[in-house]
Amino acid sequence: MSEILIGLVSGIVSGTGMGGGTILIFLLSFLIGIEQHIAQATNLIFFIPTSIVAIIVNLKNKNIDMKLALFISIFGILGAIIGANISIHIDVGILKKCFGVFLATIAIHEIYSIFKIYIKQYKSNKKKRK
Amino acid sequence: MIKKMIIGLLAGVVSGLFSTGGGMILVPAFIYLLDVDDTKARGTSIFCILPMVITSSFFYYKGNFIDWRVAGLCAIGGAIGGYIGAKLLKKLPEKILKIVFTVFLIYVSYKMIT
Repeated sequence: MSEILIGLVSGIVSGTGMGGGTILIFLLSFLIGIEQHIAQATNLIFFIPTSIVAIIVNLKNKNIDMKLALFISIFGILGAIIGANISIHIDVGILKKCFGVFLATIAIHEIYSIFKIYIKQYKSNKKKRK
Repeated sequence: MIKKMIIGLLAGVVSGLFSTGGGMILVPAFIYLLDVDDTKARGTSIFCILPMVITSSFFYYKGNFIDWRVAGLCAIGGAIGGYIGAKLLKKLPEKILKIVFTVFLIYVSYKMIT
Protein backbone atom coordinates (compact mmCIF):
# COMPACT_ATOMS: atom_id res chain seq x y z
CA MET A 1 0.00 0.00 0.00
CA SER A 2 2.79 2.41 0.88
CA GLU A 3 4.11 2.02 -2.69
CA ILE A 4 0.86 3.49 -4.04
CA LEU A 5 1.16 6.46 -1.66
CA ILE A 6 4.79 7.03 -2.64
CA GLY A 7 3.75 6.92 -6.29
CA LEU A 8 0.97 9.41 -5.55
CA VAL A 9 3.29 11.91 -3.87
CA SER A 10 5.90 11.59 -6.65
CA GLY A 11 3.19 11.95 -9.27
CA ILE A 12 1.95 15.19 -7.72
CA VAL A 13 5.47 16.57 -7.68
CA SER A 14 6.14 15.43 -11.27
CA GLY A 15 2.94 17.17 -12.32
CA THR A 16 4.24 20.42 -10.92
CA GLY A 17 7.28 19.94 -13.13
CA MET A 18 10.12 19.37 -10.72
CA GLY A 19 12.11 16.28 -9.81
CA GLY A 20 9.38 13.70 -9.25
CA GLY A 21 11.99 11.03 -9.90
CA THR A 22 14.28 12.22 -7.14
CA ILE A 23 11.43 12.08 -4.64
CA LEU A 24 10.33 8.63 -5.80
CA ILE A 25 13.84 7.21 -5.41
CA PHE A 26 14.33 8.88 -2.04
CA LEU A 27 11.01 7.72 -0.56
CA LEU A 28 11.41 4.16 -1.84
CA SER A 29 14.88 3.80 -0.39
CA PHE A 30 14.46 5.68 2.90
CA LEU A 31 10.83 4.95 3.81
CA ILE A 32 10.51 1.32 2.81
CA GLY A 33 14.16 0.35 2.49
CA ILE A 34 14.27 -0.61 -1.18
CA GLU A 35 17.79 -1.00 -2.55
CA GLN A 36 19.03 2.03 -4.52
CA HIS A 37 19.40 0.17 -7.84
CA ILE A 38 15.86 -1.22 -7.61
CA ALA A 39 14.49 2.19 -6.58
CA GLN A 40 16.18 3.70 -9.64
CA ALA A 41 14.85 0.97 -11.91
CA THR A 42 11.36 1.58 -10.51
CA ASN A 43 11.74 5.24 -11.41
CA LEU A 44 12.63 4.31 -15.00
CA ILE A 45 9.46 2.23 -15.42
CA PHE A 46 7.43 4.92 -13.63
CA PHE A 47 8.73 7.56 -16.02
CA ILE A 48 7.81 5.88 -19.33
CA PRO A 49 3.96 6.17 -19.32
CA THR A 50 3.94 9.63 -17.69
CA SER A 51 6.45 11.01 -20.18
CA ILE A 52 4.60 9.61 -23.18
CA VAL A 53 1.49 11.54 -22.09
CA ALA A 54 3.60 14.67 -21.58
CA ILE A 55 5.23 14.29 -25.01
CA ILE A 56 1.84 13.98 -26.75
CA VAL A 57 0.62 17.15 -25.00
CA ASN A 58 3.83 18.99 -25.91
CA LEU A 59 3.67 17.82 -29.54
CA LYS A 60 0.11 19.14 -29.82
CA ASN A 61 1.17 22.48 -28.32
CA LYS A 62 4.22 22.57 -30.63
CA ASN A 63 6.59 22.83 -27.67
CA ILE A 64 9.21 20.48 -29.07
CA ASP A 65 12.15 21.52 -31.23
CA MET A 66 12.27 18.29 -33.26
CA LYS A 67 15.68 18.77 -34.91
CA LEU A 68 17.33 19.50 -31.59
CA ALA A 69 15.42 16.70 -29.85
CA LEU A 70 16.53 14.02 -32.33
CA PHE A 71 20.16 15.15 -32.28
CA ILE A 72 20.32 15.24 -28.47
CA SER A 73 18.51 11.88 -28.25
CA ILE A 74 21.17 10.09 -30.32
CA PHE A 75 23.96 11.22 -28.01
CA GLY A 76 21.69 10.77 -25.02
CA ILE A 77 21.25 7.09 -25.88
CA LEU A 78 25.04 6.68 -26.14
CA GLY A 79 25.42 8.38 -22.76
CA ALA A 80 22.69 6.25 -21.21
CA ILE A 81 24.45 3.04 -22.34
CA ILE A 82 27.61 4.24 -20.57
CA GLY A 83 25.79 5.52 -17.47
CA ALA A 84 23.53 2.51 -16.99
CA ASN A 85 26.43 0.09 -17.34
CA ILE A 86 28.47 1.97 -14.76
CA SER A 87 25.47 2.06 -12.43
CA ILE A 88 24.62 -1.64 -12.53
CA HIS A 89 28.23 -2.61 -11.90
CA ILE A 90 29.09 -0.34 -8.99
CA ASP A 91 28.49 -0.87 -5.30
CA VAL A 92 25.27 0.58 -3.79
CA GLY A 93 27.21 2.69 -1.27
CA ILE A 94 29.22 4.41 -3.99
CA LEU A 95 26.14 4.89 -6.17
CA LYS A 96 24.30 6.59 -3.29
CA LYS A 97 27.22 8.93 -2.61
CA CYS A 98 27.48 9.87 -6.29
CA PHE A 99 23.73 10.55 -6.34
CA GLY A 100 24.11 12.76 -3.25
CA VAL A 101 26.90 14.78 -4.86
CA PHE A 102 24.85 15.19 -8.03
CA LEU A 103 21.82 16.44 -6.07
CA ALA A 104 23.98 18.86 -4.10
CA THR A 105 25.23 20.30 -7.41
CA ILE A 106 21.65 20.76 -8.62
CA ALA A 107 20.76 22.39 -5.28
CA ILE A 108 23.56 24.93 -5.74
CA HIS A 109 22.25 25.73 -9.21
CA GLU A 110 18.71 26.12 -7.82
CA ILE A 111 19.91 28.51 -5.10
CA TYR A 112 21.62 30.56 -7.81
CA SER A 113 18.45 30.67 -9.93
CA ILE A 114 16.32 31.68 -6.91
CA PHE A 115 18.72 34.57 -6.28
CA LYS A 116 18.40 35.56 -9.92
CA ILE A 117 14.61 35.81 -9.58
CA TYR A 118 15.05 38.11 -6.56
CA ILE A 119 17.61 40.29 -8.32
CA LYS A 120 15.30 40.62 -11.33
CA GLN A 121 12.39 41.64 -9.09
CA TYR A 122 14.57 44.07 -7.17
CA LYS A 123 15.76 45.74 -10.36
CA SER A 124 12.28 46.04 -11.86
CA ASN A 125 10.96 47.47 -8.57
CA LYS A 126 13.73 50.04 -8.63
CA LYS A 127 12.82 51.04 -12.18
CA LYS A 128 9.16 51.43 -11.22
CA ARG A 129 10.08 53.78 -8.38
CA LYS A 130 12.05 55.97 -10.74
CA MET B 1 27.57 21.06 -32.79
CA ILE B 2 30.13 19.84 -30.25
CA LYS B 3 28.23 21.70 -27.54
CA LYS B 4 25.05 19.78 -28.39
CA MET B 5 26.92 16.48 -28.49
CA ILE B 6 28.35 17.04 -25.03
CA ILE B 7 25.00 18.14 -23.60
CA GLY B 8 23.31 15.00 -24.98
CA LEU B 9 26.06 12.68 -23.84
CA LEU B 10 26.22 14.17 -20.34
CA ALA B 11 22.44 14.06 -19.86
CA GLY B 12 22.49 10.44 -21.03
CA VAL B 13 25.24 9.41 -18.61
CA VAL B 14 23.43 11.07 -15.68
CA SER B 15 20.13 9.54 -16.74
CA GLY B 16 21.70 6.09 -16.97
CA LEU B 17 23.62 6.40 -13.71
CA PHE B 18 20.83 7.73 -11.50
CA SER B 19 17.73 7.10 -13.67
CA THR B 20 16.73 10.69 -12.93
CA GLY B 21 18.27 14.10 -13.42
CA GLY B 22 18.49 14.13 -17.22
CA GLY B 23 15.97 16.95 -17.28
CA MET B 24 17.79 18.86 -14.57
CA ILE B 25 20.73 19.01 -17.00
CA LEU B 26 18.90 19.42 -20.30
CA VAL B 27 16.50 22.23 -19.34
CA PRO B 28 19.15 24.70 -18.07
CA ALA B 29 21.56 23.64 -20.84
CA PHE B 30 18.94 24.37 -23.51
CA ILE B 31 18.05 27.72 -21.96
CA TYR B 32 21.51 29.05 -21.12
CA LEU B 33 23.76 27.38 -23.71
CA LEU B 34 21.49 27.00 -26.73
CA ASP B 35 19.12 29.97 -26.22
CA VAL B 36 15.95 27.86 -26.39
CA ASP B 37 12.94 29.51 -24.73
CA ASP B 38 11.63 28.15 -21.43
CA THR B 39 8.53 26.23 -22.56
CA LYS B 40 10.24 24.74 -25.59
CA ALA B 41 13.23 23.72 -23.44
CA ARG B 42 10.95 21.75 -21.11
CA GLY B 43 8.99 20.12 -23.93
CA THR B 44 12.10 19.17 -25.89
CA SER B 45 13.84 17.80 -22.80
CA ILE B 46 11.01 15.35 -22.00
CA PHE B 47 11.16 14.10 -25.57
CA CYS B 48 14.95 13.57 -25.33
CA ILE B 49 14.80 11.78 -21.98
CA LEU B 50 12.36 9.06 -23.07
CA PRO B 51 14.85 7.23 -25.36
CA MET B 52 17.52 7.54 -22.66
CA VAL B 53 15.16 6.03 -20.08
CA ILE B 54 14.16 3.19 -22.41
CA THR B 55 17.86 2.45 -23.07
CA SER B 56 18.67 2.50 -19.33
CA SER B 57 15.64 0.30 -18.55
CA PHE B 58 17.02 -2.37 -20.85
CA PHE B 59 20.29 -2.57 -18.88
CA TYR B 60 18.61 -2.40 -15.46
CA TYR B 61 16.30 -5.17 -16.66
CA LYS B 62 19.27 -7.28 -17.74
CA GLY B 63 20.89 -6.62 -14.37
CA ASN B 64 17.71 -7.94 -12.70
CA PHE B 65 16.94 -4.69 -10.88
CA ILE B 66 13.31 -4.28 -11.91
CA ASP B 67 10.73 -5.14 -9.25
CA TRP B 68 7.48 -5.22 -11.22
CA ARG B 69 5.26 -5.29 -8.13
CA VAL B 70 6.76 -2.09 -6.72
CA ALA B 71 6.82 -0.45 -10.16
CA GLY B 72 3.17 -1.32 -10.83
CA LEU B 73 1.94 -0.01 -7.48
CA CYS B 74 3.95 3.21 -7.84
CA ALA B 75 2.57 3.71 -11.33
CA ILE B 76 -1.03 3.50 -10.06
CA GLY B 77 -0.32 6.21 -7.48
CA GLY B 78 1.69 8.16 -10.03
CA ALA B 79 -1.15 8.36 -12.54
CA ILE B 80 -3.51 9.83 -9.93
CA GLY B 81 -0.81 12.09 -8.50
CA GLY B 82 0.23 13.40 -11.91
CA TYR B 83 -3.30 14.56 -12.55
CA ILE B 84 -3.54 16.32 -9.17
CA GLY B 85 -0.10 17.88 -9.64
CA ALA B 86 -0.93 19.32 -13.05
CA LYS B 87 -4.01 21.01 -11.54
CA LEU B 88 -2.05 22.28 -8.53
CA LEU B 89 0.72 23.71 -10.71
CA LYS B 90 -1.44 26.58 -11.87
CA LYS B 91 -2.18 27.62 -8.29
CA LEU B 92 1.26 27.53 -6.66
CA PRO B 93 3.80 30.31 -7.19
CA GLU B 94 7.01 29.15 -8.86
CA LYS B 95 9.27 30.84 -6.33
CA ILE B 96 7.87 28.86 -3.40
CA LEU B 97 8.04 25.60 -5.36
CA LYS B 98 11.67 26.31 -6.16
CA ILE B 99 12.59 27.03 -2.54
CA VAL B 100 10.82 23.91 -1.22
CA PHE B 101 12.47 21.79 -3.91
CA THR B 102 15.93 23.18 -3.11
CA VAL B 103 15.56 22.51 0.63
CA PHE B 104 14.46 18.99 -0.23
CA LEU B 105 17.48 18.47 -2.52
CA ILE B 106 19.89 19.57 0.20
CA TYR B 107 18.26 17.20 2.70
CA VAL B 108 18.37 14.20 0.34
CA SER B 109 21.95 14.83 -0.75
CA TYR B 110 22.98 15.02 2.92
CA LYS B 111 21.17 11.71 3.61
CA MET B 112 22.73 10.02 0.58
CA ILE B 113 26.29 11.12 1.32
CA THR B 114 26.34 10.34 5.04
